[in-house]
Amino acid sequence: MDMLSALAQGFAVAITPTNLALALFGCFAGTLIGALPGLGPVNGVAILIPLAFSLGLEPTSALIMLSCIYYGCMYGGRISSIMLNIPGDEPAIMTTLDGYPMARAGKASEALAISAVASFIGATFATIGLTLFAPLLAKAAIYFGPADYFALYVMAFATIGGITSVNPFKTLLAAFIGLMIASVGLDPATGTARYTAGSFHLYDGFDPIVAIVGLFAISEVLVYLERVHQGQEKMVPLGRALPRFKDMMAGGWANLRGSVIGFVCGILPGAGASLGAFMSYIAEQRWSAKDGRFGEGDPRGIAAPEAGNNAASGGALIPMLTLGVPGSGTTAVMLALLISLNIQPGPLLFDRQPDLVWGLIAALYIANIALLIMNIPMIGLFTRMLSMPQWVLMPFVVMVSFLGVYSISHSTFDLFVMVGFGVMGYILRMLGISLVPVILGLLLGADMENNLRRALSISNGDFQILFSSPIALTLYAITATMLGLAFLLAFRSRRRARATAG
Amino acid sequence: MTDRIVGLFLLAISIWYGVTAGDYEASFGDPLGPAAFPIMLSVPAAILSLTMIIRPDEEPAWVTGKPLLLQVGAVSLLLAYAGFLEVLGFPLATFIAVALLGRILRSSWPKSIASAAIMSAFLFLAFDKLLGLPLPLLPEFVS
Repeated sequence: MDMLSALAQGFAVAITPTNLALALFGCFAGTLIGALPGLGPVNGVAILIPLAFSLGLEPTSALIMLSCIYYGCMYGGRISSIMLNIPGDEPAIMTTLDGYPMARAGKASEALAISAVASFIGATFATIGLTLFAPLLAKAAIYFGPADYFALYVMAFATIGGITSVNPFKTLLAAFIGLMIASVGLDPATGTARYTAGSFHLYDGFDPIVAIVGLFAISEVLVYLERVHQGQEKMVPLGRALPRFKDMMAGGWANLRGSVIGFVCGILPGAGASLGAFMSYIAEQRWSAKDGRFGEGDPRGIAAPEAGNNAASGGALIPMLTLGVPGSGTTAVMLALLISLNIQPGPLLFDRQPDLVWGLIAALYIANIALLIMNIPMIGLFTRMLSMPQWVLMPFVVMVSFLGVYSISHSTFDLFVMVGFGVMGYILRMLGISLVPVILGLLLGADMENNLRRALSISNGDFQILFSSPIALTLYAITATMLGLAFLLAFRSRRRARATAG
Repeated sequence: MTDRIVGLFLLAISIWYGVTAGDYEASFGDPLGPAAFPIMLSVPAAILSLTMIIRPDEEPAWVTGKPLLLQVGAVSLLLAYAGFLEVLGFPLATFIAVALLGRILRSSWPKSIASAAIMSAFLFLAFDKLLGLPLPLLPEFVS
């Protein structure tokens, strides 16, 4: 019953007026950002991180606010998928498959309600899972030595693309690009300046938050400019204001099936929400193939991926909090926040700062209920955001990004760095190189090197220590299996593509 | 073709990265030193760049013509904004940047100028007054 008293303690933290207000603000802002076409959760959380700094919040409050923004974005992301057929991010793609056809058929408000219920079930399921499993994993993680952490990081990089990525070579390369960028600056152990080209600005290395805002928010503007001449997409009419209860529940058991699959995908370090949504949809399609009308607006085709996507986002918090290894792009961004706040995630976090961890978990329960209320009766408010003209929205995003980055260091050098990362992010996206591994490399590079060094100073430079503990060997085995699977699938789809072409 | 060029570029970077790392002196008390980890990174990175050269993906759909010009314009504008932010002061620099960005995003002059005026005032008040982030108010040549 340890857990229940800890959770009660957490609710005591979350229910204080400041934290409650921040949680509600986070839910609202998150849904709003998620609903804006083209702005996914990663962008949303990234541009609001500097805000958490300039508000001067204490770490617990900042984390509660950003986690609520994160959950809110996951709820809001479905709005532009369903109403405009524009997914805000990768996991939302699966929601467009049945959500948009259903909205076209005049049932937009029903589709939105089904997906809100699915989001609620998925996210609540994941939050319960987080409550149950995170402390267990944290206990197990105490036995991790430096060599095991090194193996864990290797696994995170090898699996980040999941088995869904198109070209696994490029995904791996992206991780190495991130790791190489991370090594710029003064080497913490010896004080050697590495790759600074003699510039003092680079002695601290690249701030991950500056890089993230550039890679995601600024490159988004460039992506948008590609299709600016096509004009704005038309929105589907909302239909009836408040759907009937029976229609809301049309997802049925698909909600729970999607939640379970999504949650499992979310826990795997590196796999994350895209895989969760993808697998849930595919599984649901198989499960109810006989009577399904998937792709034409089947309610289960909305409920399953949406529950999966939200369950995976919650599940992704588990490896992030207990091991310090994020399971998705957005949790990577939240890890950047924790590091900037000087909080070292990992097993000791649960022992040393129980208020922070349990306050966060309690806030997530509250956020879910608040989001369900915001997303069913108040949905009309958010759909109105969709018609906001891009010539207001895009400059606003750019200016908030600039202000956020400027507020961190008050240096114009960082602004140039941000724009540079924006251009780089755009080119990488065009080449089909995923940005999440770059961020992960940038965030974990220093830690990975430290653990490697610590392991080798224990063994006096003998590399065998890396392969001597059972934990490390298990992790390497999982890594090898996942990598093998990814390459196999990639080669197979490549051969198939060539066969159909030839 | 793009994949090959980028692969070649990344290969060059990886080699340069590894070779430069070799110059960092190994130091006392630390069996690994500052050079080992970068060298460990550079080898697989170089191999992965080679795969891009040997097995390139399909050519990405690069934009051409007007959208490309808009992108170049937007990036130059952002760089100029970064450079002039402290020189011109926040409200003026932001006003100009938002108005021009609005034009790049195909709105009309009156609309862009209106949104620029509102946005620069709103952001200045919100960040400088409300959130307490000191921003330069006036251009340098005035104050």
